[in-house]
Amino acid sequence: MLKNNFTLNMLDISWILLMIITSANAFVAETAEPSLAITAIICCSIAYKGRRIMDYFMELNHANTTIQFFMRSYFHVFPALIFLSDLFSEELASLTTI
Amino acid sequence: MSITATDFHLNGSGIVTQEPETLNKIPGNRAVWVGIFAEMTEFALFFIVYFIAKAHYPEQFNQGPQQLNTLAGTLNTFALISSSYFVAKALAAIRIDDPEQSIKWLWRAVLCGGIYLVIKVWEYHWNVDQGIETNTNKFYTMYYYMTFNHLLHVGWASGSLLWAIRQLKAGNYTQNNHLGFTAIACYWHMVDLAWVIIFPLLYVLR
Repeated sequence: MLKNNFTLNMLDISWILLMIITSANAFVAETAEPSLAITAIICCSIAYKGRRIMDYFMELNHANTTIQFFMRSYFHVFPALIFLSDLFSEELASLTTI
Repeated sequence: MSITATDFHLNGSGIVTQEPETLNKIPGNRAVWVGIFAEMTEFALFFIVYFIAKAHYPEQFNQGPQQLNTLAGTLNTFALISSSYFVAKALAAIRIDDPEQSIKWLWRAVLCGGIYLVIKVWEYHWNVDQGIETNTNKFYTMYYYMTFNHLLHVGWASGSLLWAIRQLKAGNYTQNNHLGFTAIACYWHMVDLAWVIIFPLLYVLR
């Protein structure tokens, strides 16, 4: 009897998840019409991918809390800014017109 | 065949007690984190300029991603995510005192870096064939500025991986002394993180 123990640790699982999310993003790029809902989904995927890479590849989930705070904040702030700049694009344009 | 998910610990192999250099500490060294935060700030400025430019030229930023080669962008994302995974595996290998395996994983990461550079060059040629150049419109100016800047980062970060391979071969990075390797790994992951935002901004969102 062939016995093969194939184990996955969190690095492997993270890699698989990141590849799946990237494929889904590419599918959205090719097929979906632009809308705020799509933008929100993409922003969530950016935040999730960033968190996954930081926590498991960069190993920040157990590291220095200051570094952890700034890095995690970056991947909360920028996905939020992407969404907000889309939602309030006219206001942003008028605010930044010289 | 049984597939089981084991608990993750810092070395990716389940031996958390062997990782005192990372637990509640700065991964790598302070210098590399100064560099990482400086680079992240640079990319943050690019993103802010992108938001403002998109608000002023919505039509160009709506049409732009549709003309780009999504396949190239996706393959590059696969290459960078895989390379980050390989670097994490390389670090896990040296922590269990397996430098040979660590070197193998690092070569895979370098290969991914090379694939990224080749795809990028192919994509730029493809763009020119489609009439997409740096001054075609504001979206493509942003696209070239961001992607070329990121490409430079991948280039020199690949060089740092080659340096790590050399140090491993020389026996300078060991199970008990690999802080420099950890610093290089963190920098490489930062390059991957920047692309995690750039890819949807340029290829997906309209």
